[in-house]
Parts: sequence; C-alpha cells; structure tokens
Amino acid sequence: MEPKLAKLEAEYRGRVAVVRLNADEAPETVRNLGIFSVPTLIVVSGGREIARRTGAQSLQSLASLFEAAEAGTPPPLVSLPPQDRALRMLAGSAVLLIGLLSGPAWPLVGISALLLFSGVYDRCPVWRALSPRLASLAQRLRSPKR
Amino acid sequence: MKVNEAGWDRILRVIIGLVLLYLGWGGVVTGSAGLVLKVLGFVPLITGLIGWCPLYSLLRVSTKKA
Repeated sequence: MEPKLAKLEAEYRGRVAVVRLNADEAPETVRNLGIFSVPTLIVVSGGREIARRTGAQSLQSLASLFEAAEAGTPPPLVSLPPQDRALRMLAGSAVLLIGLLSGPAWPLVGISALLLFSGVYDRCPVWRALSPRLASLAQRLRSPKR
Repeated sequence: MKVNEAGWDRILRVIIGLVLLYLGWGGVVTGSAGLVLKVLGFVPLITGLIGWCPLYSLLRVSTKKA
C-alpha cells in the first residue's frame, strides 16, 4: 500500500499532511488512538477524526480519504462494485429458484436470502447503523485492554 | 483476503456451483452422490462470489491480471 500512499501524498502535497506511525515503536500512542491492527489509516480534519479505515486499501479508497481530508468532510461510504452486486443478486435469485423448485428446500431458501442480502447490504440502513458497532465490538473482543 | 480470481473465473465458478446445486437439490442426482453435490456445489459458488480461492492462495496463483 506504501507506493499508492506515496503517490497520493505527492499529489496532495501542501493540501494534506501524511504522518506515519510505527506501531512497534509507539505502542502507547497506538493504544491511545484505539488502533488494534495494522495498517490503519485515520483522517483528521480540524482536530477531529472524520474517517478511519483498517486493512489494505485500493487506490480508489485511499484517494477518497485524501479528498475527505482536503474537504474536511467524511468520505462517501464504500460500496460494492456493480459487477459484484449483480453477481450476488443473480446467484441469490438462482439459488432461491432452485430451493423453491426442490420441495421447497428451506435451507437453500435461507442461503439464497443471505446471498441476496450480501448484494445490497451496503445500502441497508440497519446494517449501516449496526456495522461500526459490530466492528468495534469485534476489535475489543480480539484485543482486550490489559 | 485479496481477490485472486479474474472476472471470467468468478462467473464460471458461480455457474458451476449453481449447476452442481441444481443436480444435488433438484433430485437429478440422488443418493450419496446427490448429497455430496448438495454440499460441494457451495464451494465454487462461494469462492466465485467472494473472488478468492484458498487453493489459489496456497499455490500462489491468480487468474486476475496484476
């Protein structure tokens, strides 16, 4: 991810400052920032955290963070690529059809519901509200405070 | 999980998975073979949908262009 980050850093030089923190050398700072895994990118604007992403990011995702830092507003929510969405919806519909024609086979119908939901989860308001809380709970369970 | 399957690979896997599921759940193949297909069909389906194959990962191969 470093080459992508360096590229954007050069593009946004003078408009967005990039600060790198070595987790091994500054464990106290890492803990204070609530970072539980690396890499983690935190976007701060006007002294306020406006975005946070964990894990390797695509160039598009990184660019949205830089734009957010420059604008001072949270980045738009990451959404599923249209091809992925279409594939999941088609697969879910096909599995539903197979399930209904086979009895119905309720396990298959249940699985098709999960597949169909996986095609639209990023647009579900309930999921959007629950997701950050679930992510933070998962992080706390993985790395309990000493 | 980094995507290691090309678009054509993913579509093919989903189609194969759906066919296997139909053969198993649709009653075309019965008995223990049908039972195997009922479960096995999910493997190509799920790996195709997520775009990541654990076997590819183990063998360090990828059909996705860098």
